[in-house]
Parts: sequence; C-alpha cells; structure tokens
Amino acid sequence: MTRRPEVTPVALTRFDTKTLVDAELWDAITEKNLADWEAKWTPQLLKLLEALYDQGVERALWPQSRHWDWRAKTRAIETRLDQQCFAIVCEGMTQAMMITDLTRRARLAGQTNDHLVYVDFVETAPWNRREILGKPPMFTGCGSILIRAAIEFSKLEEFKGRIGLHSLPQANSFYANKIGMTDLGQDPEYQNLRYFEMTPESAEAFINEGA
Amino acid sequence: MKFSISRQWCAEKGKVEDGVEIGAGLLGIDPLLSSDSESAAIVDDSRVALGRFTNLNRRQRKLSYEALADIADVEIAELMNIEHDASYEPEPRTVYQLASVFKVDAKKMMELAGLIEAKDASYIEDAVRYAARSESLEELDEQERAALDAMVAVLSKK
Repeated sequence: MTRRPEVTPVALTRFDTKTLVDAELWDAITEKNLADWEAKWTPQLLKLLEALYDQGVERALWPQSRHWDWRAKTRAIETRLDQQCFAIVCEGMTQAMMITDLTRRARLAGQTNDHLVYVDFVETAPWNRREILGKPPMFTGCGSILIRAAIEFSKLEEFKGRIGLHSLPQANSFYANKIGMTDLGQDPEYQNLRYFEMTPESAEAFINEGA
Repeated sequence: MKFSISRQWCAEKGKVEDGVEIGAGLLGIDPLLSSDSESAAIVDDSRVALGRFTNLNRRQRKLSYEALADIADVEIAELMNIEHDASYEPEPRTVYQLASVFKVDAKKMMELAGLIEAKDASYIEDAVRYAARSESLEELDEQERAALDAMVAVLSKK
C-alpha cells in the first residue's frame, strides 16, 4: 500500500472559462491515482485505436503491441512508487503525475556533476492534452505546478532548485520558452529526446514570475 | 512534504502554460503519437507481414500448427505468436527453420522479423503490401494464393 500523501492546495485554470478551480498537489502517486490512470486515462488513449478502425485501417495492421505498451507503462510506474512522486488531483480525478529521481547529476556548464532532481516522468490526463483531443484541453497549469514541485523538492534536498529532464518533442517549447530551462540538445542515449536543465537562478526566476 | 504555492501564482502560470503539451521522460512517450515510435511501427508492420506469410504458407500446405511445428522443429506456441501477435519477437532459430521449410531466403525472413536490420527495406514494404491484400479466410482463395506467391517471390530474390 502506498502511504497517505501530504497535500498542498493549488489551483488549475479551466481552459474554456479561464476560471480557477481548487486542486491538490499530492506528494505521492497512490493506488487511487493508478486506478484513475487505468480506468480513465488509458481508455481515452485507446480511443485512438477506434479512430484507426473508423478510418478503415485493416485490423491486422493495427499496432497491436500498443495495448501492451500501456500495461507495461502502468507496471513501470508501479515499480517506481518508492521514488518521490507527485500527482495533481482536481474534481476528484487525477489530472497529472510526475516521478522524480535523485540519483542523476547535472550536465550544464557551471553546475556539472552537481546534484539535481531529475524529472523521470511527467504526463497530464488525456483530457488535458490538446494533441489527444484535437481540441482545447479541460485544465491548464499542471505542468507549471509539477515543475514548481520539482524545484521546491530540489531546494528541500539542498540542490538549490536544480532540476533536469528529457522533454518529449511536443513539449520542447514549454520547457524552453515557458519554464525557462536550458536546452542541452538531443540526447542519443535517450531516444534523441532533448535534455533540459534548470539552474538555481532560472528556478528562482520561474518561481518569482507570477508570485 | 507540503509547499506554499499561491493561488495567484497558479493563475499566472496557468495563463502562460495555455494548455500546451508538457510530457517528459521515456515513460511519457505515446507509442501511438510519437514520431519516435516510427521505427517500432515499421518493425510491427513487417512482423504483421511475417505472421501473414507464415499463416498463408501453413494453410497452403494444409498443415496444423502442430504439424508445421513438427516439420520445422519449433515450438507450437511460438508459431501461434508469430501468426497472431505483431509485437512478438521470434527466436532467430525459429525464423531460420521456417525459412527452410518455406524455401525462402533466411536472411530476408530475419529482416522481416526485425531481428536484423535490412540494408534495402523496399522488399519489406512489398511484403507488407502483399500481406495487407490477403484476407483471413479458412482456405486460400485465388487472391490469397497470388499474395503468397508474390511474397515468396520477394523473399526468395537473391
């Protein structure tokens, strides 16, 4: 069983009305979050398979392995619950999840080999993702709150707010332009995902903007 | 652990974030959406063709899974996986044995199975196309026989 999480009150923005909605930042991924993942997130993603069907793609040519990939992903998250995880819950539903790792070291010149909080995984619920929906998301703000959590965690660990992560291609602009992380380029050891790092100075700037 | 994050900060950052994608980490990759999954999709496609090729060959010879497994000296379960699960990575020995039974080039079968990298992948595209043309019926009809002949031809070319 996962422990009961400590809760930080936060707020998400409902995208269509631009109104703030009370939410909670949990310092754990719990069984409830995993249940939300399996029962609510995954079916939405698998709706993409329905789209393939509707487009007349022959069933034998569907990417069958994708089902298993999602299950493997759930298992992979379960096995990492001993690492420091975070989740955002709003209106009774998990809206985003993050897993962090303290074993990595910084790469950026000026802080090379310094400790940092490495963000191993971040994802928002499918209904918060424009790319999945093909229309505006339900809530926005999850990414910023989770990055803030990673920075605060880094400060608690006396890493001064240093964080690092490998961004998915569709999120590169978010980490470079909206969060203010430094782009260290594609990492051939990591499926060519771009590696981003945040310095203590850029972490402070991120926190102070909008404070 | 608890942090102090103001509502005002959340409001400002929500505005800036503006609903863009935020995914990070290998676990966050969507196999269905990411361009990084293209190579995996190509392997899946060629394995669909491998499965179809095996299925058509077995049925043309009027062989059960068990009978083909006996002849090729491979496991029945592996044969069934090859025919029905494109995500299944067959053992090299099994592919080699099947190529011998089907009298096609073993190296090309290995490439079709995604076990070795193809220098010229054009014949794999051909095999996938022929596989897609055949439909799953109990007995081989003329169209399936033609698809099978075409696949044998591309897998036999030296």
